Amino acid sequence: MEKTESCCTKGAEAVLNVSPNSSIPISYHPLFGPHDDILLLELDEKLLPDVINQRVSLRGEPNEDAVLCTKSKTYAVKFVGTSNSVFLVPPSDQFAITESPPVASVIKVAPGTMEIVEIAPKIDKLKTLLSKNPYRYDEDDEMHDSGLYQWDDLVNRVQASDDELKSALRVLSAVEINGYWRIVDDKYMDQVLKTLINNSILSDWSLSSLDENTVVESLVEEGYSREIAHHCLEVYGSKTSENVWEMDNKRVCVHFARRILFVNGKMKTESFMEEWISKVPGGMVASLDMLEGEVLMENLGIQSWVYAFSVFSLPSDPANRFSRLFQERSKWDWKDLHPYIRDLSVPGLTSDGLLLKYTRRTQPTADAEPVFTAR
Amino acid sequence: MEIKLKCSCGESNCREWAIIELQGVVEVQPAFQDRIQNLQIGLLCRTSSQETYTFTVGYHELSGSKIPLKKPLLVLKKNIIKSDMEIDQNDDQIDSSRVELEVIGIIRQRILFKTRPKALISEPQPAVKEKVSASCRVVAK
Repeated sequence: MEKTESCCTKGAEAVLNVSPNSSIPISYHPLFGPHDDILLLELDEKLLPDVINQRVSLRGEPNEDAVLCTKSKTYAVKFVGTSNSVFLVPPSDQFAITESPPVASVIKVAPGTMEIVEIAPKIDKLKTLLSKNPYRYDEDDEMHDSGLYQWDDLVNRVQASDDELKSALRVLSAVEINGYWRIVDDKYMDQVLKTLINNSILSDWSLSSLDENTVVESLVEEGYSREIAHHCLEVYGSKTSENVWEMDNKRVCVHFARRILFVNGKMKTESFMEEWISKVPGGMVASLDMLEGEVLMENLGIQSWVYAFSVFSLPSDPANRFSRLFQERSKWDWKDLHPYIRDLSVPGLTSDGLLLKYTRRTQPTADAEPVFTAR
Repeated sequence: MEIKLKCSCGESNCREWAIIELQGVVEVQPAFQDRIQNLQIGLLCRTSSQETYTFTVGYHELSGSKIPLKKPLLVLKKNIIKSDMEIDQNDDQIDSSRVELEVIGIIRQRILFKTRPKALISEPQPAVKEKVSASCRVVAK
């Protein structure tokens, strides 16, 4: 294929370099045919380096529409047909055959091209896959081969770029255990976190300055795996310096709020607050504004109630998200709605655009709070 | 499944293909229908002025020009890889994971003929073998 340029130009080179006032004959190629295996893909110039460096792939299962992924973005692939006759002329050294070929010849008539449009990654499927078999304490007794996914399995099944997949795994607090990406059962995480907090009280460690090795070893002694111990620090804390972790006030508090509401269901706000404040570890401060996107509050008579409604449990594509939201409540004010839509990302659409598309905004008077209802 | 886009072009070395695009279809006369290979479609002629072309097909002449594409087109070839794949746990995946797409060229410009064909009164170019040049005609849509 990489033969050096011959003396007289032929093929595509000839077509592209006809001298003024001259002509070349155009023929059907000796191998002319439908060549369904030759496709045309329209691509932005700025994506070419990704292609050349082989960082681009098509992803999707046979029953899904293929998407094209670069390292960081996901694109829908659409076939755009044309009624024009698009004659494709390859360079002379491609599809070359032994007999002397015609000057410039057409290998196929292209029925159209494939175009790409940036889209949001299909992350819901990742949630579904990983939720099927969360990591639990007693897992080792059971056979656990089914419903487990390694990185490559996820790439094969989830239509998202590598970067988007990695960030989604982070958002889901997934962890790689024995090569498989897992989300950890919430109840199990609860045990780990409580053990960690307990140990730090017993040993008089400060939750804002935990020595990684000491903490991990103490959890391992209690029968937790090293990975899970480390994962607990990652999920509820942040590294402040080498081997030193600080537990995150908000994330720890939110965890306890979720557990309380999981166990009790809908609660009077008062009794919820009471229990919540009693559950969070000493030195940490729980406040309701931490629970944006985690709980909804409603007033029944003079009584205020609170119940769990987590943004993470909602679909990530806008149409389904809004439909689920309006199923929950027919009217939303902005303060309540915002935490449930701020994570939506649709390439080419701003959040105002999203609201315009999926909601009806009403404002009884100019200075009243706007209210959003379904379209 | 994942289909990798394979590219062996290296930096700025993708082979450029050409497109000749016209409205309507070129119809081959019935006598040549089954031996279309090597058949001449027409004569592409660049006129004296910059990047304007005529394409003479049978008794028809089209005029057009060379236009750079707004976005480049990659020419991809679907390859079926026959070598043994590692056995996947999932049976339905085996077939599909043997496909790869190879970039075999790039298209940056096309010669577009968007006018209706003009009938040539006289015989077409005598330099071209008559039987061949007369064997195609353009059917405008």
